[in-house]
Amino acid sequence: MNFLKSLAIALCLFSGAIEAQSVDATRQVVKIALAQEPPQLNSMKATDQVSIFVLGHVMEGLTRYDRRGNLAPGVAERWTLSATSAKFWLRKDAKWSNGDPVTAHDFVFAWRNAVDPKTASEYAFILYPVKNAEAINQGNLPITDLGIRALDDHTLEVTLERPTGYFMKLTAFVTTFPVQERFYRSVEASYAADASQMLYNGAFKITDWVHSASLKMQKNETYWNRQTIRLNGIDADYITADTRARLNLFIDDEIAYTQLDGETYKDALKNQFRIRPFATGSVYFLEYNYRPERITSNLKLRQAIQAAFDPDEFVNKVLQTPGNLPGASLFPSWIKGVNKTFREEYPAKVLRPDLAHAKRLLAEAKAELGVEQIPPLVLLVSDSPTATKQAEYTQGMLKTKLNLDIKIDVQTFKQRLAKMTEGDFDIVGAGWGPDFDDIMTFGDLFASWNLNNRGRYNNPEYDRLVRIAMNSSDPTTRMEAMAGIQTLVYDDAIILPMYEQGVIYIQHPKIKGLRRTVIGSDPDFTHARIVP
Amino acid sequence: MNTLRTLTEADFQPAPSQDNLEQISRPSLSYWQDAWIRLKKNTRALISLYLIVGLAFFTLIGPWIWTKDPAAQDLDQISQAPALPKTALLVKDFEPSATPIDTTHPPAPSGYPDALDAVTGLTVLGTPTTQSVRLSWSPVDQAGGYSVYRSESAPEGLMGLGLPLASLTAGNIVGFEDRLNLKSQTYYYSIIPTDGFDEFDVVSTLEVSPQQSITVSQALERQLIDSDDRPGQTVQLAFHPLGTDYLGRDMLARLMQGARVSLFIGVVAPLIYVLFGVFYGGFAGYLGGTTDQVLMRFADFVVALPFLLFMILFKIAFGIGPGESGILPMLIALILLLWPATARLVRGQVLRIREQGYIEAARLLGGGPSYLIARHIIPNTMGVILVTLTFAVPSAIFTEAFLSFIGMGVAPPTPSWGSMCNEGVKTMLSHPHELFFPALFISITVLAFNLLGDGLTEALDSKMRSKE
Repeated sequence: MNFLKSLAIALCLFSGAIEAQSVDATRQVVKIALAQEPPQLNSMKATDQVSIFVLGHVMEGLTRYDRRGNLAPGVAERWTLSATSAKFWLRKDAKWSNGDPVTAHDFVFAWRNAVDPKTASEYAFILYPVKNAEAINQGNLPITDLGIRALDDHTLEVTLERPTGYFMKLTAFVTTFPVQERFYRSVEASYAADASQMLYNGAFKITDWVHSASLKMQKNETYWNRQTIRLNGIDADYITADTRARLNLFIDDEIAYTQLDGETYKDALKNQFRIRPFATGSVYFLEYNYRPERITSNLKLRQAIQAAFDPDEFVNKVLQTPGNLPGASLFPSWIKGVNKTFREEYPAKVLRPDLAHAKRLLAEAKAELGVEQIPPLVLLVSDSPTATKQAEYTQGMLKTKLNLDIKIDVQTFKQRLAKMTEGDFDIVGAGWGPDFDDIMTFGDLFASWNLNNRGRYNNPEYDRLVRIAMNSSDPTTRMEAMAGIQTLVYDDAIILPMYEQGVIYIQHPKIKGLRRTVIGSDPDFTHARIVP
Repeated sequence: MNTLRTLTEADFQPAPSQDNLEQISRPSLSYWQDAWIRLKKNTRALISLYLIVGLAFFTLIGPWIWTKDPAAQDLDQISQAPALPKTALLVKDFEPSATPIDTTHPPAPSGYPDALDAVTGLTVLGTPTTQSVRLSWSPVDQAGGYSVYRSESAPEGLMGLGLPLASLTAGNIVGFEDRLNLKSQTYYYSIIPTDGFDEFDVVSTLEVSPQQSITVSQALERQLIDSDDRPGQTVQLAFHPLGTDYLGRDMLARLMQGARVSLFIGVVAPLIYVLFGVFYGGFAGYLGGTTDQVLMRFADFVVALPFLLFMILFKIAFGIGPGESGILPMLIALILLLWPATARLVRGQVLRIREQGYIEAARLLGGGPSYLIARHIIPNTMGVILVTLTFAVPSAIFTEAFLSFIGMGVAPPTPSWGSMCNEGVKTMLSHPHELFFPALFISITVLAFNLLGDGLTEALDSKMRSKE
């Protein structure tokens, strides 16, 4: 007993001595956990939140978002924008982490590569406002025809395909980040596969990357604006999607920031942490596979599922965290319309479950398909605990209400994306976060040419409405077209909107200036600091 | 002194037969009867045996008695701890209502207020139920919005406000409807006025105890009421003696269904691979020589194969798609990879028994190989075989639990004890019963089989008899 006691005391003393510190005010280092290994750090090809989070800290585009969330000069010192072209003057002190200057040629190389069909970037479409981008991406023109030109090392000229009101917002997006051609050619296929296989021009650089285990970022001493960066390091010592594990790390003061979910918030409450809400601006939905051999290409079946689903019950009983809004539309409620928000001006049809109607639709679907019983549908989801719980709810709900059999295919995030791209699913639990601050970031998602339209939805009417909105700079015309899309999403049951994501999170009280943002790299530690 | 014995005729008569020369004072006992008697003396083993019989009843007969659907989701009773049946108020189906706005009040403050009054007139509209709690308050002068918090314990000033339910962004919004996962317990709602951006340090708190309720359509769906029942009535909610899991599914029904998977793997796999191991080892041991060497080296090779890798390979080779149960490949992997242990054990026994004197004697008296094996060798290895079997059962159950725990086993919604533990461990602190029950069942089963195995070792080993 005495031995045990003294052992316990010794252990206490010991743990006191090496006390875990998630924030270090003297060294200005913050420790965090990443939800997963960044799947793609090649800025021309990255699509997911974690990769964009890392890239947003280690790279910089022509412009960037400042600590208030406004567009601010990045590599470009100043610019002029006309209806058909844009001209950027690059700052001379912008440097790569190897000391080379960031030049206009680096942007030309990156942009050409991003739209090159050989690169097969899923975000190529985001550059479609640039002249000839679409034709190049479809393989009809050589990449040298892209409307971007380096007038000299520090002057860049972009010719636009058509007047694009949101073009400047694109220049802060990850796909438009520069890449040095010489370095890229020297590593070629292994570019961005490791910390040493990348060049950095952002506020931080990756110094240590142990795959699937940890990723350390340090202040980039060659960054032009390094004086304003207070943090010396961001250490992602843990990579785990398990919110429970992350909360425990937070309680142990191993990490300084974590998001909570329905299962973990109660423990956070018990610990008297100050819980902060944040609307991520993302919309989560079930996306169907429209490839002709898939049974989900049947409209009546999709409408039956739509009529059976109760977004209100889903948000309040299954998600259980505050801040989520019941899904109603492809467009989240924060998207700006002409004067007010889009959803205030063009209210979406509220999804209310109607079981009798759903059963009728399902009977019609069976008749159309000529089957007695709908074969089991494969529901593809990520392997996060929240996603599997949502999938199990959907499975149980469709079984009880419509007697539909669902097989849940749980995959890692990377594998889920791969399977989505291959079309190896019937239904997939997907979400979409905004890339730039314009309705088009959601609007063109199911256009036939969009590579993120993994279900291969193809409807000329949808494409027509997107083109109207793309080719016009008149807000009313654009919003009218988008309202048409909103109606189409409901009538054609293109997707099943589940919820607009709101999250709750906790952060170390000593961190100041941590910016939560709907667009781009979130959370943004660039201007964060640690107060003593 | 030579006396001659005179032999008479009578001396050559057969001796009279005596029937009762030897008498069996105790009834004759076969090997099994003896083992059973000695097992009965072992209380631990006997209790374990009863537990195993009980588990068999639980698994096979249980679902006939407790007929609840293990996949049915009772969303009104999510993560319910074990409790007596509850009654609920029948309420109308939810209809989204417009945000209550006081049109006489400006939505935004005219300037930048330095201080705001606390919210007054905070009340609940209608009856607070677990479907909805509708708060209402009077607008605060110069307010640009309100923050609504909900806590399960009384807040002390600005500490412990709890969950941020909503940030309302207009000063003339005078109500909020909370529907977020309400339980029949006491909540403390706190309203803090804001100027549209920042919260002020004044808080008004209201204590609300929502009444357990269920909507008409949900009650109909779960067949709790007839179609002519009306809102306002009291309904008996579905009874969950062991509580429910994170989607309101009945724990007892899930444990019963999970037991099928766990015990199926736990009994069938060892039965098959122990049987195979007995034949393989017996064959190798009896034949001996080069055959024995070759066979046993092959067994050594199989021991070296990694189980998890093979399990995955089988899963792919069988074309088990996503979302389908991995029980069959698990069974096959168990059978194909775990037999060598039994085979080695039996071979050792056979090698030893083969050289015993009584075998020699039987052989000299003309016993053929099949007679020797059936009459002498197998019965003498029986103890070892049965003990291996009882120890193999818990290890197979544990393997299944582990594989389902890492997601290689059953596909949802089918539960197994292992996958239930996997789900339960996530809510271990807030809802311990979700982990406790499946873990308890795994522990009891494994312990019972182990203790029975111990008991059998003692009972079946004939050498132990002399020590008593």
